[in-house]
Formats: sequence, C-alpha cells, structure tokens
Amino acid sequence: MIKEYFSIAWRSVVAHKIRALLTTLGVVIGVASVILLLSLGNSAKAEAANQIRSIGSNLVFVSVNDSQGVLPSIWLDELKSSGQMAAVSELIQGSTSYQVNGTDVAVSVSGVNQNYGYISNLSLSSGRFLSSVDIDNNLAVVVVGSKIPNQLFPGVDPIGQTMVIKGVPFKVIGVNKARGTTFSGDMDMMVYIPLDYAGSIFTNFGGQRTFYIASNSEKTVDTTINKVTNYLKATMPSETLYRVFSQSQILSVMNTLMSLLTTLLAGIASISLLVGGIGIMNIMLVTVRERTREIGVRKALGAKRSQILFQFLIEAVIITMLGGIIGLIISYIGASIIQYFSSFKVTIGLDSVILSLVFSITIGIVFGIYPANKASTLEPVEALRYE
Amino acid sequence: MGETIVMALNGINLTINEGDFTAIVGPSGSGKSTLMNILGCLDVVSSGTYTLNNIPIQNYDEDTLAEIRNKQIGFVFQQFNLLPNFSALENVIIPMTYARVPKKIREKKAAELLAQVGLADRIYHKPTELSGGQQQRVSIARALANDPHILLADEPTGALDQKTGQEVLALLSSLNKQGKTVIIITHDMNVARYAKRIVTLRDGVIESDTEAGEVHD
Repeated sequence: MIKEYFSIAWRSVVAHKIRALLTTLGVVIGVASVILLLSLGNSAKAEAANQIRSIGSNLVFVSVNDSQGVLPSIWLDELKSSGQMAAVSELIQGSTSYQVNGTDVAVSVSGVNQNYGYISNLSLSSGRFLSSVDIDNNLAVVVVGSKIPNQLFPGVDPIGQTMVIKGVPFKVIGVNKARGTTFSGDMDMMVYIPLDYAGSIFTNFGGQRTFYIASNSEKTVDTTINKVTNYLKATMPSETLYRVFSQSQILSVMNTLMSLLTTLLAGIASISLLVGGIGIMNIMLVTVRERTREIGVRKALGAKRSQILFQFLIEAVIITMLGGIIGLIISYIGASIIQYFSSFKVTIGLDSVILSLVFSITIGIVFGIYPANKASTLEPVEALRYE
Repeated sequence: MGETIVMALNGINLTINEGDFTAIVGPSGSGKSTLMNILGCLDVVSSGTYTLNNIPIQNYDEDTLAEIRNKQIGFVFQQFNLLPNFSALENVIIPMTYARVPKKIREKKAAELLAQVGLADRIYHKPTELSGGQQQRVSIARALANDPHILLADEPTGALDQKTGQEVLALLSSLNKQGKTVIIITHDMNVARYAKRIVTLRDGVIESDTEAGEVHD
C-alpha cells in the first residue's frame, strides 16, 4: 500500500510541478543555507585549528604594556635559563610599502631575533633566516615572504639584492616558503628584520611589547604560562598591564566564537525552514480544499481515514523531501563557488546529507499532518457534494 | 428561537431484495439523495434502522463503513467523478487498491472490466480524452471492481445526451440480469422506466411503490 501512496502522491506533485516547486522553495533555501553555514563553520574551525597547528601548539604569547620601562631587557632570557622554554623572541611589528607598476603594495615588517624562525615554524625556500650574528651586530638584513621577490626583483636571484624599508636599505638574505593567509594576514607579504633595527624604525608603541615563547612541548605550555605570569606579577605594577596566553587558548576562544556564529546563522537559517514549513501547510490546506471532491470519491470507493491521511501526508513529505534534495544540490554548488573564489576549503559531509533529509522529512510530517488529518476527517457525503 | 429540524426521510419502510432493479424517483427535496446516502453507507440514519445483508448498519464506525462501501457497493455518479489525472485503467483500479488486491491481479481485472463495458481500446485514456458516455462506462467498470452485490447509481444519465443515456441504462439493465442488485436514483420517469420497480418519494415519505409493468402500460 505504501508504494501506492507514493505513486499517487508523486502523480499529484507532478501534476502541479510549479506549485510544488514554489511551495518547497522555503525548504530549499532553508536546507541550503543550514548546510552551507554548518559546513562553512566546520571548515573554518578545521582551517583555524590547522593553521594554529602549523604555527605550533606549544606557542605562548606575552603582551606587556611597559610604558614605565620596568621590565628588564633580558627578562625572558633569565626565565628561559630556568628550563622548559625552547626559544623566546620579542616581536616588533610595523609596515612599509613599495611601488609595483605605480601602485603601492603594503608589506608587514616584523622585528624578531634569530629564534623566531624556530618559534613560528618558518621554512625557507632559499637563503637563510636571521642569525645571532645578524641580531647581535644589528645588521641591515631581511628575510622576505615568498611573493616579494617576484615583485621587487623579477627574474633575478633575490639573495643579495637590496630592499628599502622606511628609507633604510636592507640586504635580502632569505626567502620564506609560501604559507598563505592566516589570522595575522598574508604571510607571504611579510618580511623579518633584526629586532633592534625594527625598534629604531618603528618607534611609536607607547611601551606596548609582544613576546613569543616556544615551550618545550605542548605539555609544558601551562607550566610556562605560570612561570611567565608569576614573573610578571612580581615585576609589573599592575595585573592589567600584561596578558599571557597560549595558542590553544586562542584556538578554544576561536572555536567558541565560531560555534556561536555558526549556531546563530544556522538558527536564522532554520527560521526559513520554519517559514517553509508554514508554506507547505498553507498549500496542503489549499490542496485538500481543492481536492475535497476527490477525497469524497475515494471515501465512497472505500478509502479509510488512515488511507486518506497517509496519501496527503506522503504528498507533503515528498514535496519537502524534494526541497531538501534541491537544497542539498544548491549547497554543493554554493560550496564549489566559495571554494573556487577563495582558498577556503568547504566540505559537505555525509552528516549534512543525512541532516538535510531528516530536516525536510520532519518538516513534511510536522506541517503536513494537520492538512492530512483535515482531509481524512471529511464527511464523505459533504465531500461528494463539494463543487 | 429553536433550530428547525428537517426530517429528510420520515417513516420510510423499504425492502430491496437481492437481484432487484429498483428506481427511486422524486423531485428535488423529496429525500431521495438522503436515501441514497443511507443505502450507500455514506451516511447513517439518525433514527430507525438500515439493514444490509441482515446486518444493521448504524452501529459501525467509519472504517467499517468504508470497507462495506469498498466491497459491497458500487457507486455510479451523475458527474462520473473520475480522477482527472488518472487513466481509465487506473481509475478502475482505485477500489481494488483500497481492498489490497495484488497489483498484477487488479490490473488484469480492471482491463477485463473495461473490456466488458466496451472500452477495451480506451484503457490508457484520461477522462478528458473520453466522451461523457465513455466516462460513465469507466465509472461503471470502477463500480464493479470489487464485485459488489449492489450498484447504486445517482442520476447516471443526468450529464449525458439521450442516446448515450439509454446505452448506459441498457448496460445497468444487463448487469442486473447478471445478478447485480441495481438501484437508480433519479428525478426522470423516463429513466426510472428501465427499472423493474419504481419507488416514488415525496417530502420524505414513499408516495408509491410499483412494479414496472404497471407503469409501462
């Protein structure tokens, strides 16, 4: 009997193609946006985790506002010698620009020491990273991001060339491998110069200082955080002047934010599912009214209440399921478009497919039951008389 | 102010035997539609009794009534009431679907029934592709689908011209000769004359109940 219900319902849907399509539009949009948003959210989370992992899960960041100059210049070296820290570096950030074909191109400049390459997992495609000699002697040398050589020194070996930063000529000693864009911006448009040089070029920081610490391993991150925090507590006049946090803390904050955003957007999308469901109910009520006579005839021919109920319920479910499938296809297309125009990888998993089907079938049942029940309880005599 | 209760039928005492060909006649408002609905188990009596095959009908629930309509009564309507999106064959199949007849059997039987009413070459046509007379014959084939004892025809010629109307009545008459109990509800005496017995209703009561021979002459 179920097969007949499906075939009868299918016939009726096919007989009113445009109507069914318009009816289910809300479900299409709802399912497409829910799936796309969930997939985007998950992909973004995975991407973030991936980036952070590539930088290193053993990283600890320290941000200090030392406008009074109470922090000893070698404080981190002191702490490092007590163990558990593999490498430390201060970071001074600024920016410069150069012209390519008459347009300004911005470059971010990071002043770091020789340890930063290890801390940030940098790897080079040619040349070398800053060395302790460069740092100690404060040499005017620069390690450039992978996109820069083609723009500044097209067709030549960039090593040994000169790059001007804020009017100061720097000798290129290394080129980084391509790393893509992360939260800190386009990594391939970054350059690294010795810390003190950066300190002398970019001055206006109001005592704000940033330090990167690589703990020995992921496991020692908490000990490192404690140690640094205790030191700063003892040294700095106020607790509001510094912050110590780890890569994994950033990751978990990001995850929370991402989840919140995803949930919020998915919530908005599910409102369109709700609206879609109400649309289904509306059209099914119209359908039942339009087909009152058919219902009367079917009852006269021996249809039981439950058989009429199933016929109309299945019709509603078929319409919403179609909407779910179309929505799924649209979300696939949307994901491909997003992937095509950005480097962002969006994967729609099997869970999304199942979710969309469950969603749409549920909506069909929830919003189809009332009209179907209404159809099934029609009095045969009244229904047959209906014009 | 009280509601006015209108008795559509009042004090009717009517027995229709198996194999009868009965016409129920009367002007509109005479109660013949109500009588048809009760005989067809589409409605139940508000007082009194209706006995079908020696079984009183009034105590049944809706589903049992649906089953009785499905198996024991075949309906033929004035407006044919064929489902427009379905072919003649599919329309005839409907009552058998509700009776859970297996697919192969019901398709074969529907084709046979359509052949019996002279539409062997029209089984895949939709109602709109058939003439009025052909549609009414499809609906008769549909009424016969589950081999009911009773054929209940409500103004079966009402939407047909005289010639095709006569053909349909001849078909009902031959079905009666094959043993079906046929009941025609009509306002038209010319239609009623095809029956062996004519029951005339007026204002909810039986005005006359005559054997056809008496009227014919």
